[in-house]
This record gives sequence, C-alpha cells and structure tokens, in this order.
Amino acid sequence: MTAEIIVVTSGKGGVGKTTTSASLATGLAIAGKKVAVIDFDVGLRNLDLIMGCERRVVYDFVNVVHGEATLKQALIKDKRYETLYVLAASQTRDKDALTQEGVEKVLDGLSEEGFDYVVCDSPAGIEKGAHLAMYFADHAVVVVNPEVSSVRDSDRILGLLASKTRRAERGDSAIKQHLLLTRYNPARVAVGEMLSVKDVEDILGINVVGVIPESENVLAASNSGVPVILDENSFAGQAYSDTVARILGEERALRFLDVQKKGFFQRVFGG
Amino acid sequence: MNARMDTTDACDLRFGQVGIACVRVRRVDAAALAEELERRVRAAPQLFSRAAVVLDLSHLLDLPDDGTVDALLEAVRSAGMLPVGLAYGTSETEALSRRMGLPLIAKFRAAYEPASGGSIAPPAPAEPAPAPAPRSEPILFDAAPGNSLGAQYHDGTVRSGQQIYARDRDLVITGAVANGAEVIADGSIHIYGGLRGRAMAGAQGDTKARIYVSDFRAELVAIAGHYRVFEQIPKDLEGQSVQCWLEGEKLLIAKL
Repeated sequence: MTAEIIVVTSGKGGVGKTTTSASLATGLAIAGKKVAVIDFDVGLRNLDLIMGCERRVVYDFVNVVHGEATLKQALIKDKRYETLYVLAASQTRDKDALTQEGVEKVLDGLSEEGFDYVVCDSPAGIEKGAHLAMYFADHAVVVVNPEVSSVRDSDRILGLLASKTRRAERGDSAIKQHLLLTRYNPARVAVGEMLSVKDVEDILGINVVGVIPESENVLAASNSGVPVILDENSFAGQAYSDTVARILGEERALRFLDVQKKGFFQRVFGG
Repeated sequence: MNARMDTTDACDLRFGQVGIACVRVRRVDAAALAEELERRVRAAPQLFSRAAVVLDLSHLLDLPDDGTVDALLEAVRSAGMLPVGLAYGTSETEALSRRMGLPLIAKFRAAYEPASGGSIAPPAPAEPAPAPAPRSEPILFDAAPGNSLGAQYHDGTVRSGQQIYARDRDLVITGAVANGAEVIADGSIHIYGGLRGRAMAGAQGDTKARIYVSDFRAELVAIAGHYRVFEQIPKDLEGQSVQCWLEGEKLLIAKL
C-alpha cells in the first residue's frame, strides 16, 4: 500500500497554498485517513504556524532528509486528530538542503508507516523547492486567485506538472490535476474587477475542484493556528470541506459563488 | 533566389532552404552533451539520427579553446548526429570556425528573431569564411524536394512557458496556446483552441505560410519574420476565427 502524494502548488506566492495544505490535510484526517503534511518551504517555514504546532517542532524535514533524525522523531502529531501529522520545514536552512534522493526516502518512509495521504506544501516559484515538492506527486492541487498574474503562473505550473515530474518522465498515467480557486469575491466579480470562475476555467482549460470565497475568517484562523476548515461557521471552511469531499470522489455542487444579498440596514448605511 | 543556371556548367549551384537543428551548448561538458544527444536520438531516431546540426556556442560565457570544441564536435558525432557548422556568434566564433574548417551559419536563430528583433536579415560578417555554403538566410543547401513530412500534431493545451517547433512542416494544435507560450512552424500553423500566446509560421522564411486560429486573442503573430504584436486586440477580431497571411511585406489578418 503506497501513500497517495498530493502537491499543493501555484507558482505565485501569497495565493493560499499553505492555508490550503493545512485545510486539505485536516479534512482528509477528518475523513478518517492517515495523513502527513510536509512543509517544503525550507527557510520560510509557515505551515507549523497555521497548524498550530510551532512550539513543538524539535526535528524537521531537513534533519530527516540528512539522516540526522528519524521520521518518527520528526513527525508532529496533531492535537485535534490523531491520524494527522505535520513535518515542519527548517527555518535556518535553504532549499538546497533538500535532495531528490532524500525527499524520495522520506516519502517511501511515510508509505511504509501506513500513511494514506502525504500533502506536500510547495514553496512559491518554479525552482528547486517547488520542483521537489511536485516531482513525486500523484495529485496536484493548483491554487489560483482570480487575477491574471496568478492565472498565468498557474498555467506555467500546469505545464511543468505535465512534463517535469516522475510520472511524466516514466510515462505513467498523468498527474491528476485539481484547480482550486481561492480568495474569490463574488461582488468584485460582478462588477468586473475579478475574473469569474468561468474566465479562469476557460483560460486554463480545466475545471475547478473548489472555489474558496474571500473571508476574514481565513486570517483569523491562521493567526490562531487552527486550519480554517475547522471553522464550520465560515463559508471558507465549508468550501474547503466540499473541496476535500470532491477530491475524495464525492459529487458536490459549488457554493458561495453569488453575491450575498445585503440586509436593509447594510443597504441604507453601506457596508 | 535561385542562382543563374547554365546547362553547360559542370554543376548547378542552387539556393534552397532546409531546416536544421541547432545544438545550443549550455556548459562545456562533452560527455554530458553526448549523453543528452544520444537520448534525443534514441527518442526520435527518424528525426535526429544522422541529422545535420550546427553547434551554437554563444551561450557559453567564454568561447572554449580549439581542443574543447573538437571534443564537443566529436560528442555530437558519437551521439549519431552530423555537425556541419558553427552558429554565428562573435568575431571570435568566426575565427574559430576558420581554424576548424567549418562553415559559419550566420544568425542561425532567425526563427526566434521576429519576436524581439524584427526582420530576419542577418548581419553582414566582415569577410566570408572559407565555407562552401553562402550565408545570408538561416541556412542554405539544396532543398530536398518530395520529402513531405506531413504535419506535426499537438494534442491539448500548450501551457505558458512551453515552446513547440514543427521543423520543415505544418503544426496543428488541437487545444489552446496560453499567454507566454510559443508555437513555431516552418510551414503553416493551425490552432483549434484559443491563441493567447505567440504563433510564428514560416520560421525559415516561407512567405506562403499562414496561421489559422479558431479563437483569436494573440500576443503576437509572425509569418516569415514579419510580425504584429497586439497590445490591444482589435474588437472585430477578438475571439473570432481568423487567418493571417502575408501580402508582400504586409501581414494581414481577417475573419474566416
């Protein structure tokens, strides 16, 4: 039994890769899967903050890659879900500390430990860190914001996923690509300030697996170290739950795509 | 551009255009070069085995010495390709080509020039190298007639940053060409999705080449070095199916 490897990537920075990685991994754990989420952003580690385990990092991904610690020592067990583990990045090293052989060893090790899913949180860019994060993947979640530069960078990433990965090099079946649209603001789409879901799908030529509405809850959740998928009252959290269900093969209609009707007072006083 | 023929002469000297691959050397490592090229030859023996290639050293920081260039040429030969010349670089490259007894192919990268430069006219080198092939256009040999290769097909989308080149033939793309993607053909180009990137037909100078697009939103189109960039896509062409062709020096675009 080998673990399914999912890379969360985008090319562009600041679009919500780490937020998505945290929520995706948590969502899969809620569904009963054994999940490890790895921060590939060596030197700029953030995932541990979003997952709320930053004070429990003793050994990290780079230590394991270099054989300075075992996987067991470096995996941080989540406090909320016992099948969820975090492998933090090193803050004091840079991307060159990762090697292809080292990464492969860690992923093989996780398979042997009986993990169902490994979520790889890719750094921005298309250089070494991003390359290694996507190289071994079976699935890719490409995070895109509804604006032109993010869409173009995602297009580049989709091209790389189809050519610069182990599956592509071996001629295996293609990586399963999932397009996730984040920071979607229906009101701004309505007035033409943002690209619509259809615009993005048309330009990239693939359908979205989910649309996460722009929401204040995301920032609040990040700051308190709780993946936003656990905030059941927020639209963003619910949209992530839908997305995880779709990645697991369930059919769910897209939600939160329309402009919210404003209440009477909001209409009078603006809001 | 045919040279004058005289049947009483011992031979005809004709100018023709053939496609030729360019081996752009990125680092001076003959073993790695041989290995990489062998892989290419194995992958597409019909295309690359015994293919004539020119060596482009312009991407190296310093021009390697003669012995190293010999080793690089030998690496190309050992991989199963036939190096026939050096690509134009600097006057140093020219001197090197004389010492090697190889022709210098002037301004080889003409196919890519229209995007940045404009015309495909090469710079006039100071004095001719002792080369059998005259150099003016990309490359000049007798074109082998009746050597039809058919079109090259690409299924699906060409993504940003990708580049597809159909040598000596037409190119058919069934999907879209994204912003920042480039499709190039020595013949015509047919795109059945949207064109948001660049399309360059007649890359070796064929002025009869055309470009057909079913959803026009191009950044740039070029035929035989004549190009148009679109900062704004004309409203009457945007999203329409169009064809582009050359009339004299003028690149024309019309709805189909």
